[in-house]
Amino acid sequence: MLDILSLLDISFFLLAALGALIGIIFGAIPGMTATMAVAVCLPLTYALGLHHGLALLLGLYVGGISGGMVPAVLLNIPGTPSSITTTFDGYPMAQRGEGERALRVSVVASVVGGLVSAAILFLFAPLLAEFSIKFSYVEKFLIILLALTVIASMSRNMLVGIFSGVIGIWLSLIGTYSISDGGNGKTRLMFDFLEPYLFEGFSLLPVLIGIFGIATILLEAEDGVKSGLSGKEIKIGKGGGFSFGIFKGRLTNLVRSSFIGTFVGMLPGVGGSAASVLAYTQEKNLSRDSSEMGKGAPQGLIASESANNALTGGALIPLLSLGIPGDSTTAVLIGAFTLQGIQVGPLFIPENADTWYVMMTALVFANVVMFFLMFYAIKHIAKVVLVPQYILYPIIVMMCVVGAYAINYGIMFDVWTLLIFGVLGYLIQKVGLEVAPLIIGFILGGQAEVYFVKSLESFGTYSIFFTKSPIAVVLWLLIAASVAFSVAMGLKSHVKRRLETSQ
Amino acid sequence: MESGLTSLLSVSIDFETSHLFFPRIIHWLMGGLFALVLVLRVLPFFAAVRRGERTLPILGESMDKFRFFGSLALIAGYFYLMAVVGNLFPYTGYGFLFVSIVFVFLMSLMYMHTRTTRKVVTAAINAIVAPSLAWFILAKLFQITLP
Repeated sequence: MLDILSLLDISFFLLAALGALIGIIFGAIPGMTATMAVAVCLPLTYALGLHHGLALLLGLYVGGISGGMVPAVLLNIPGTPSSITTTFDGYPMAQRGEGERALRVSVVASVVGGLVSAAILFLFAPLLAEFSIKFSYVEKFLIILLALTVIASMSRNMLVGIFSGVIGIWLSLIGTYSISDGGNGKTRLMFDFLEPYLFEGFSLLPVLIGIFGIATILLEAEDGVKSGLSGKEIKIGKGGGFSFGIFKGRLTNLVRSSFIGTFVGMLPGVGGSAASVLAYTQEKNLSRDSSEMGKGAPQGLIASESANNALTGGALIPLLSLGIPGDSTTAVLIGAFTLQGIQVGPLFIPENADTWYVMMTALVFANVVMFFLMFYAIKHIAKVVLVPQYILYPIIVMMCVVGAYAINYGIMFDVWTLLIFGVLGYLIQKVGLEVAPLIIGFILGGQAEVYFVKSLESFGTYSIFFTKSPIAVVLWLLIAASVAFSVAMGLKSHVKRRLETSQ
Repeated sequence: MESGLTSLLSVSIDFETSHLFFPRIIHWLMGGLFALVLVLRVLPFFAAVRRGERTLPILGESMDKFRFFGSLALIAGYFYLMAVVGNLFPYTGYGFLFVSIVFVFLMSLMYMHTRTTRKVVTAAINAIVAPSLAWFILAKLFQITLP
């Protein structure tokens, strides 16, 4: 235990705090997300060690998710997708002049959500990791298959979701079938003249930074980079009006929403909006008096914000125990781990116990810092929503370049990858394909191939995927369940639409 | 029957071509899914476009052509020139620094809707300060390679 204390110096805590602050600012600016904050700040971690780098990144993650509440309450624009339900009650409150009160309620709910999910992560991830250590290639392949079906079934349309995921896998296969993974080292899916550039395929981080950074800029540019916000008046309201008494009788809501957030966060690739929407509707269904919800009731804020901050711990569970990212931000975190030479998976926690405790410390500390920053300095932070885009966007492009260029110690092709995937990310979103499954497919595709081919090489029959072990059967049942769930939901909304049009 | 099923499912992978085994499956899967998406989603969508209920993405939407293509051109030029200028001063990161200053300023100007002296001056200061700061922290303090 003493070893760990020696890893936690002043700069560690300062970096976590700095991360939380930058994250809050990113989250507070509409259009910038936590994922972008992490992606853009990655180059800063190249020079830091693993533990300091993690402190910064986890701070960014927690801050970025929380910051989204600021424009949600003040401007009725969710700063990150997961604060969508915060607008329902936050904005009406702000219009009544209770902006600060609404923000403080949200901050308290956020920190509770964050800490509850951190506790669940701490208890649950090692168990899941221990369980999954025994998995052979067959089960590992099925886990990836399950992850992809879950993501697809959460998409707007399952078929499109699966298609996007398969495109992601295809993109990940470009390059060699690596010898270090037991492949034959031959290249595929490209032209010979591309071999010098694409021998090892597209690097993960430039792809992610391109899709989340450059594509966002292109989407905004197409819209003409509206400067509409600067003219808008921000009503933060007078101080006061907040007391912890608001939370009296709301404990069930707080805890339930935190658990919902954590659970949804665990499902791979499911974005934050699903968590807060689910928590919000549950509060609406289950609370004794929900008549005020949507008109400015603190209980709505509590449900929404505790669920969306609980995502952070939840999304880290599959990442640290199975190596499967829970959302797009943790997907970028995978890149950060790879950069430091660490493979996340079942062996991560037992083999890197120090790092695991350090991460937990950083996560809890980032939540605490976030709380104090937002609770006491919210008035000043709220002003960043007014920073004009024409100042921000060029800086973001610049930081994306640094991140991509420096990742493999100065390869210009990685910078061009940014542009390729920036344009691709733009097109994907324009034609209605889904980004989340594509990214998860891209990240997991390489491993899926290795596990799949190895399983067949050792057993020589496709039937092994069904007969290997009871766990394999359970995994197939889960896959079937997620497909059935999605089909049922699809039919339900179809019938609903039919009814609406016929009326 | 039983043996027929077993032989149907049995498979042996030739090491020499094992790099093509999984991609081939993915190609079939992609092809199949694409056909399904085409029939179930794309064709109905085009039918809706023809009836005038929906509009085509990108082509049929209103877009700020100047800013969109301007951004693309600026970013491409930025990436290209960075390497060119960087080669003039190898291992210093000056390529990044100088080209970034120009790029940040031009992009700011392009994204501004109304140009007042005050705004242009702010953008100019930002264009000098931000890249210099990034260059100083990353290249000088952290010794990170920059073009």
